[in-house]
Amino acid sequence: MNGIICLENIRKQYGNLVAVEDISFELEPGSIFGLLGPNGAGKTTLLKILTTLLRPTSGNAYIFNYDIAREGLKIRRLIGVVFQENNLDRYLTARENLVLHAKMHRMAKRDYQKKISELLTLTGLSNRQDEYPDKFSGGMQRRLAVARALVHSPKLLFLDEPTTGLDPQAKRVVWDYLVSLKGQTTIFLTTHNMEEAEELCDRIIIMDHGRALIDGPSSKLKTIIGDSCLYEIEFIDKEEYYLHRLKELDYIERYRTVNGRVEIVFKNPESIKSLLSILDFRDIKKLGIKEPSLEDVFLYLTGKEIREC
Amino acid sequence: MLRGAYCIWERDLKVFSRNLLPELITVVAFPITFFLAFALGLQNYILDIEGVPYAIFVVPGLISMTAAMGAFDDGAWGLWFHRVVQGTISEYRCNPITVYDIILGKIISGFTIACLKGSAIGIILFLLVDFPFRTPFLLSYSLFIFLGSMIFSCIGSICGTVIDKPENLGRLEAVVIWPLIFLAGLFFPLSVYPQKLLPYIKLVPTTALFDGARTALLAGKIDIGYLMILFFCAGLSFISAVIIFEKKMHQ
Repeated sequence: MNGIICLENIRKQYGNLVAVEDISFELEPGSIFGLLGPNGAGKTTLLKILTTLLRPTSGNAYIFNYDIAREGLKIRRLIGVVFQENNLDRYLTARENLVLHAKMHRMAKRDYQKKISELLTLTGLSNRQDEYPDKFSGGMQRRLAVARALVHSPKLLFLDEPTTGLDPQAKRVVWDYLVSLKGQTTIFLTTHNMEEAEELCDRIIIMDHGRALIDGPSSKLKTIIGDSCLYEIEFIDKEEYYLHRLKELDYIERYRTVNGRVEIVFKNPESIKSLLSILDFRDIKKLGIKEPSLEDVFLYLTGKEIREC
Repeated sequence: MLRGAYCIWERDLKVFSRNLLPELITVVAFPITFFLAFALGLQNYILDIEGVPYAIFVVPGLISMTAAMGAFDDGAWGLWFHRVVQGTISEYRCNPITVYDIILGKIISGFTIACLKGSAIGIILFLLVDFPFRTPFLLSYSLFIFLGSMIFSCIGSICGTVIDKPENLGRLEAVVIWPLIFLAGLFFPLSVYPQKLLPYIKLVPTTALFDGARTALLAGKIDIGYLMILFFCAGLSFISAVIIFEKKMHQ
C-alpha cells in the first residue's frame, strides 16, 4: 500500500439500507481529493468511516497504513476533521476552542500558543479570538473550524461539505484558504457542489446510492461523455416543436433544457449530421459543441441531475 | 487514557466557573424554597421527628437532593447538549482520545459540579438553621453524597446518551427521578411506611442515599447496608454508562 488512504471493498449497512457499497480506492499524498455526489449518496458515511467515527460493516481501510478498525488513536493523531455541521464549542472563546483541541493532542503549551496565534492570523480571526463563536458569521465559524482542525498540523485534512450554507464571498475565502494548504496537507473533501469540486479537486470520485460511479481528474471524467457528443442549441422559434421531435430520435442519448438552451447528448459524434438535416436554421439562434461540466457527467452516469437527488 | 478525560473535565469546570454566580443562585433558590415551605412553614405543626427538630431533619435531604439533581442534570442535559445540539462529542472523537475518556470526563465533571452545588446549599442551610456541626459526622455524610453524586451523574450520562428528544429527558426526570427522590424520605421518616413495605423501600438506592446520608449527618452512624447498595449501584451505573456510551458512539 503506497497511498495515504487505502480502501478495500468498504461497505456500510444500516438495517436494510446500504449506505456505502463496495468502495475501493487509494489516495496519493499532497493532493485535493473530492467525493462528489448528491445528499444521501453515502459521502458523509464514508468520511465518518475514514475518520474512525463509524465502523464499516465489512471491508478494510487504512490511513497511513494504520488499520481504521484497530488503530484509530494513531490515525486520529495524524488527521484533522471539519464537519458539515458547526460543532464549535459556543461556551469557549475562539482561542479556547483551539486550545482545547491542542490539549487533546497533547501539545506543549509553548508550541500550541504559537501555532494558534499563527492560525488565527492566517484565518483573519486574531482580532476576534476572545469572542464566542456564536457571534461569528457562518464563514468565520467555518474558518475557525478549519483552523481548529489544523492546530496539530495534520498530514491529512478531512472536510465534509466545507462551504455548505456560505454566501459566495465566504465560499471563495474558504476555497482560497484550502488551495493555500495544498502541498503541505493532503485534503479529502466531500461536496455536492460541482463548481467546488471542479475548482478545488485534483481527483474526484462521483458517488450515488453508496456506490462509486467514476474516479479521476475532472478533465478525465468529462471525457466519458465522448468527444463532440454534447451540443447546445438556442432556438429563436418553434422550440416546443423541436423538443417534441427530439423525443423521437433514436440517435439521441438524452436532452434537457437549461437556461433557455437545449443540451443534447448524442450516442455518437456522427449523429449531429442527422440532426442538422431536420433543423431549419431560421429557427436557430445559436448551435455549438458544449464543454461538458461535472453536472453533465453526473447526468450521463445516473440519468438525473444532482439537484434532483 | 485520562488525558482526554482531564481536558473535558477542565473545560466543563471552566464553563461552570464562568457562570458561577447565576449557577449558584439557581441551585440555591430551589432547595431554599423547599426549606422555607416545609421546614419553616411546618415547624409549628411538626415540632420534631424522632427527637430531631423538623427544620434540621430536612436539611441533609435537601443537600443530598441538590447534589443528586445537580449530578443528574449536568450528566443528562450536558451530554445531550454536547451530543445533539452542539455536536462537540463528534469533535472530541476526532482527537486522539477514546470514547472512555469522553464519558469518564463527563461523569467526573458532573460529579464535581454536583459536589460544589451540594456544598453551596449545605453552607447556606447550616447557617440558616444553626446546625449542630460535627466534623466526623460531616465526613461520613460526604461519603454518601460522593456515592450519590456518582450514581446520579452516571444515570444522567446514560439518559443523555440514549435519549435524543429533550422533552423525553424532562419526562423521565418528572416521572422517575423526582418520585424516587421524594419517596425516599426526603421530608418524612421512613417509619411512616407500612412495616411490610419497608424492607423493599430500603433497597431503593435513593433511600440508601437520603436516609443513609441523614443518619450519617445527624447521628454519626454509617449504615453498612445502605453503603453496600450505593457502592454496588455506583459501580453498576458507571459500567453501564461507559458501555452504553461506547455502543452509541459506534452506531
